Amino acid sequence: MDTKSGNKRRWLWMIGLVAIMAAIAVPLYLLWPRTAAATMDPWQNVPTHAVHTSHADIIKGPFETPQQVTQACLECHEDAASEVMHTTHWTWESEAVSVPWRDDPVTIGKKNTINNFCIGTQGNERTCMSCHAGYGWSDADFDFSNSSNVDCLVCHADLATYGKGDYGLPTEAVDLVEAAQSVRAPTRDNCGACHFDGGGGNNVKHGDLDESLYFPSGELDVHMGANNFLCTDCHQTEAHAIKGKLLADNFTIDPAKQVACTDCHAADLHADDRINEHVDTVACQTCHVPSMALKNPTKTVWDWSTAGQDLPEDHYSYLKIKGNFVYEKDVTPSYEWFNGNLAYRYLLGDTIVPTETTLLNPPAGSIEEPAAKIFPFKIHRANQPYDVNYNYLLQPITSGEGGFWTTFDWKSSFELAQERIGLPFSGEYGFARTDMHWPVTHMVQPKEGALQCDDCHSAGGRMDWEALGYPGDPMEWGGRFDDQPTASR
Amino acid sequence: MSARPRFTHVIHASARVLLLAGVLMLLSVLAGAPAAVAQDAAATPAGTSTGSFVPPAAEVQNDASPLHPTFALLDVDGANVLESGKPVSPMQSCGACHDTSFIAQHSFHSDLGLSDFGRTDIEVAQPWDQSRGLFGRWDPLTNRTLSPEGAVQLDLSTAEWLMKFGAFVPGGGPATTARNGAALTTLPPDAANPEASLLAADGSVQAWDWQQSGVVEMDCFVCHLAQPDAAARAATMAAGDFAWANTASLSATGIVSRTAEGFAWQPAAFGEDGKLLPAFVQIQDPTNENCAACHGVVHTDAKQPLVFNACDLTQPQTATTGQVVSPQLISQSGINMADKASLNRPWDVHAERALKCTDCHYAINNPVHAQEAAGKQPDHLTYDPRRLELGEYLQRPNHELARGASAQFMIDEGQKGSMRRCESCHAAQETHSDWLPYTERHIEVLACESCHIPSMNAPAIESVDWTVVQADGTPVTQCRGIEGSDTVNGLVTGYEPVLMQRTNVDGDTMLAPYNLISAWYWVFDEAGGADGAAVPAPVRQQDLAAVYLENGSYAPAILAAFDANSDGALDTQELVIDSDAKVALVTERLEALGLSNPRIEAQTQPYSINHSVTRDEWVTRECQACHDNDSRVAAGLSLSNRTPGGVVPTFVADNNVTPSGTFESTNGALRYQPAPEADGIYIFGHNRVAWIDWFGALLFAGTLLAVIVHGSLRFVAAMRRPRHAHKLKRVYMYQAYERFWHWLQTITIIILLFTGLIIHRPDIFGIFSFPHVVTVHNVLAAILVINASLSLFWHLAGGEIRQYIPRPYGFFDQAIEQTKYYIQGIFRDDPHPFAKSRDRHLNPLQQVTYFGILNVLLPLQVITGALMWGVQRWPQFANALGGLPFLAPFHSLVAWTFASFIVGHVYLTTTGERPLSGIQAMVTGWEEVAAEGAHAAEAPAAPSVTAAPGLASSTQA
Repeated sequence: MDTKSGNKRRWLWMIGLVAIMAAIAVPLYLLWPRTAAATMDPWQNVPTHAVHTSHADIIKGPFETPQQVTQACLECHEDAASEVMHTTHWTWESEAVSVPWRDDPVTIGKKNTINNFCIGTQGNERTCMSCHAGYGWSDADFDFSNSSNVDCLVCHADLATYGKGDYGLPTEAVDLVEAAQSVRAPTRDNCGACHFDGGGGNNVKHGDLDESLYFPSGELDVHMGANNFLCTDCHQTEAHAIKGKLLADNFTIDPAKQVACTDCHAADLHADDRINEHVDTVACQTCHVPSMALKNPTKTVWDWSTAGQDLPEDHYSYLKIKGNFVYEKDVTPSYEWFNGNLAYRYLLGDTIVPTETTLLNPPAGSIEEPAAKIFPFKIHRANQPYDVNYNYLLQPITSGEGGFWTTFDWKSSFELAQERIGLPFSGEYGFARTDMHWPVTHMVQPKEGALQCDDCHSAGGRMDWEALGYPGDPMEWGGRFDDQPTASR
Repeated sequence: MSARPRFTHVIHASARVLLLAGVLMLLSVLAGAPAAVAQDAAATPAGTSTGSFVPPAAEVQNDASPLHPTFALLDVDGANVLESGKPVSPMQSCGACHDTSFIAQHSFHSDLGLSDFGRTDIEVAQPWDQSRGLFGRWDPLTNRTLSPEGAVQLDLSTAEWLMKFGAFVPGGGPATTARNGAALTTLPPDAANPEASLLAADGSVQAWDWQQSGVVEMDCFVCHLAQPDAAARAATMAAGDFAWANTASLSATGIVSRTAEGFAWQPAAFGEDGKLLPAFVQIQDPTNENCAACHGVVHTDAKQPLVFNACDLTQPQTATTGQVVSPQLISQSGINMADKASLNRPWDVHAERALKCTDCHYAINNPVHAQEAAGKQPDHLTYDPRRLELGEYLQRPNHELARGASAQFMIDEGQKGSMRRCESCHAAQETHSDWLPYTERHIEVLACESCHIPSMNAPAIESVDWTVVQADGTPVTQCRGIEGSDTVNGLVTGYEPVLMQRTNVDGDTMLAPYNLISAWYWVFDEAGGADGAAVPAPVRQQDLAAVYLENGSYAPAILAAFDANSDGALDTQELVIDSDAKVALVTERLEALGLSNPRIEAQTQPYSINHSVTRDEWVTRECQACHDNDSRVAAGLSLSNRTPGGVVPTFVADNNVTPSGTFESTNGALRYQPAPEADGIYIFGHNRVAWIDWFGALLFAGTLLAVIVHGSLRFVAAMRRPRHAHKLKRVYMYQAYERFWHWLQTITIIILLFTGLIIHRPDIFGIFSFPHVVTVHNVLAAILVINASLSLFWHLAGGEIRQYIPRPYGFFDQAIEQTKYYIQGIFRDDPHPFAKSRDRHLNPLQQVTYFGILNVLLPLQVITGALMWGVQRWPQFANALGGLPFLAPFHSLVAWTFASFIVGHVYLTTTGERPLSGIQAMVTGWEEVAAEGAHAAEAPAAPSVTAAPGLASSTQA
């Protein structure tokens, strides 16, 4: 054999080897048992945090006023203030929108609406503005165009060095240089300072957001506890616009642009098809937030009508300035249809029927609406002042000089309000029932802590099926998307 | 309707709402509400802010029927109880609309075994059993023998049976009727008649007056009322106050109240028409709680941590098996449990999924559930609409409840297997086939429960020793699955039930989980049989106490024999009959009581486990849980830490369980070791036949040894002699296809051997994934078969097959010559006796070897392998050849032979001109061979195949 053909043969047996390997590998590959397609990896949507740049050596000071701190920030972060000034953290109101029950477009926000906790901010700026991301909002004449008044520190400073007091100004104890040097991306502390204490104290307002989330255990919340999420991991932020709005109170936010569980999780990820069938009708939160106020009680009832009396005071049942309360812990939410919008938002001056409970922000949605799902709410019930002759809810001046918390005189507080915010007061007031709906969406439990079938589908189940519009338990009576039973067996 | 009932109804229905409102009002008063109210009144229009803020509490829900009409409570004479003041008669009251006599006649819950009396065609567990039900079947856990007619010694009379077991007796049947069918009330009081007498605590026998005590009619309320007072009912029965038992069920309803004299009907519960007010009509389908009253632990309040007692016989199903029916997560229960936090699963998935007991155990003619037995309807019909109307059903609901085929008792055989089983609702094939290899085979052999009830998380009784009694007269009972004594302070560890072969009603057999409870007890011969013949009977508790105890403490003779540490007291460790001396002592003392031939007997009763089902990741689903040395299928179960009198128990035979395993005894402790292979089950990776593995391993090692010795000798011989150059020529020996199929076959066989070894011994090769190895083995086997078939076709088509067929003429001579060459000539560097050529490259020895390998072993291996692979689809073929227990070991044997062959085969390739020339030829096709063999000229010429280019044969050796 010559060398040439020898080489050829060597090449040939290599081909043979490859062919043999293929004869084994290809059938193996084709017949290999396949596991189900990998589901969405929830971690893919969790942002990686930027490396922290210490500002200790960048910020020099000294600062006489907080506004100087803001100006120092703006030297480098030139657009930051104008970005913030476009957000509701600054404006406290929406763009003007048309609502069905008003002729003219209205803006809606903390600036001008009322709730059934401390009722309204107008005229109560001294106290309320301690949660405004700005400095010195003391009355209606506040200059919203002055970028120096943007409070960078409340979101970015280490709150061990910073705190806000009257009119949103730093408290006297604050060392502005130290606070400014401590800045970093917002943590749960920064968001929690206002959002955990909404309504005037720890967990008063939300039920699912409270100070226990500063150091949450794994059982409290799977995201913040077990996985140490920051608020901004879900409420992702672009140009200081923070995604998500718990209370869709202004008709301006598209529910689709809210923070959603499905941003990270596949809706049909449950191993059990029976559970996946639920996701068209039941919000994730319904099963995965079975209970709120797990650690700290939340306020569920507030009766303003008893305020001002010299009764024994107790933080959880009666305060002279606020009246009677009921606080509850480990609260089972109320369940209602919710499409992400509100059906109505009470606006200052809207008339009420005082003999009936006024729903200040009823959720929109019904069993007939395919997009609506059963959603958990905290319902806050209140008895709050209204004008007996004009039949609208009144907004008292509470804080500050001449406010109810000083005078304990309702009439003068309403007269002062008429003076400051222009809401006419007839001179006669009463107390009317109002309800507010607060969607429950934090304190999420993994499957081990989620609701089980029998939590709803049993004699003692937590759903009021008939109130939700079902003839009875849909497990037995059929769901809203079920076809009528056919003759086939 | 009058105003009064309406008002009462409102009060009742919203009582809890009002109560809550009241509490809140009280609170607000304390907090200063009066002033507020006054202020409100001044400032606001009426009604704007009065009332409470409490969210409307969900109305208290129960399953009471909203439709059930009001009805009058009648006594046994049909008179309204409000007027007569007599006990309620459910048969009369409910019988106004429902056919109560039909119901009572069609209810095993009522019969409880009474209808077995006088029957000779039934199989009972023990010679002294008279029935298969609670009434008449002796249960070693309670150890009371219902005395038969003519018993010399009275043990349990009918009256005492009712008193003792009243909590489990719904009434009717033996509670109203004598064994001969007469009404109990017709029996005259007679101390000699076990049906009309009572064994008093002092041992004397008294007559029992049924007229005075009354009887217990079948009690509709105890199952159909939302809140029956089962405790009051049981207490009334225990007191012998039978007539009032069913009235006591109503104690918690407000319809009747307990007074010093007895029970007084409450007029407030009745309307002017004498009927119950609607609020008091809380009639419902039986809930899980109703069933739980007699059967076992049921828990529905998800918020209340579940707590129960260990091995508590008032909850028999839980005590005997550890089954708990609750939707609650085990981790949220109040039980102190090992590794509790990780048990994030409900006690029972069906309870969690809101199924009720009656969803499976439904009334057998309930038109909602009843379905025709599969195969009963004619071929042309899939659904027969002609069935009971609801009204007809409600009038005559058959109270035989659908049931499975549990092992406990062979009772109620008519309904055995009437229940829907797992597969009636679940598409097991669908849900398993995507991940479980051999799905059909697994489902055929294993009951769903075997994997879906992997372990019990509650304690269960393990054994009861009635050969001794404790100072309080109770036996020494052992409980499994718990350390310590109670479920709150002790530590519940749970246990794994044992898998045993069960025969279903349809004759199918499968492995299912069981708890085993063993009992030891004294038996004597009682002269109570026909014609005075001796019949065995368990020694009465009373006699046992007399043997061991005197005045409430142990008799001196007993103490002397049993008190090992001489502390004057007997603990449970000491209280055991573990020596002949103790047997003799107790025997003697029993004989002294007049008991003839006393002896220790023992039985083991399997208790089937069908509840406490789980799913998904909690299920036994790892292959190696079973396919390994420590196979779940063959896991044994401890029976007892003692063997009183050295008596090994026998399995109770009156059930559908086949105990094919063995009792193993170590230091007096007993254990049951299942033997699945004895049930015809061969578990790959667990079962193996020892001699086959020994034989195979020896064959393999022997071949290896022979090769090493032969090779060493060749090497030494070659060193000793001068190198001699044969005259060589290069021959194109193997065509490309030959080489391809040879090497493909080589690789598949080697991998098959290796994967087969892993499947055979997963305990050694634990790093390999068992299911993946099985897949590789199956796929490669298919490749091997295809490769062999194509090769066979090629050899047949080209006539090359002839190379493999030994030629009869001169075959033995040639074979001997070839053998001599390997033994002698090869060491002398003699030329090969038969020159290898393209037309003839197999020597006679090779021919016969390959003939055997390719025509015998390979087909056998392929056929046995294919049958094993096809066992799930076509089990009849495998079973015809002995099933897996034969096929699998045979397959292993042949595999050993193949492995040994390969060793020899590879070695013989080195006997060519140069050690590697043979292998090289199989790679390149060209081989250098001796120009002439010793008999080259004599070699029979192969048919001329050179026309077909490169035709030659395959392997050379």
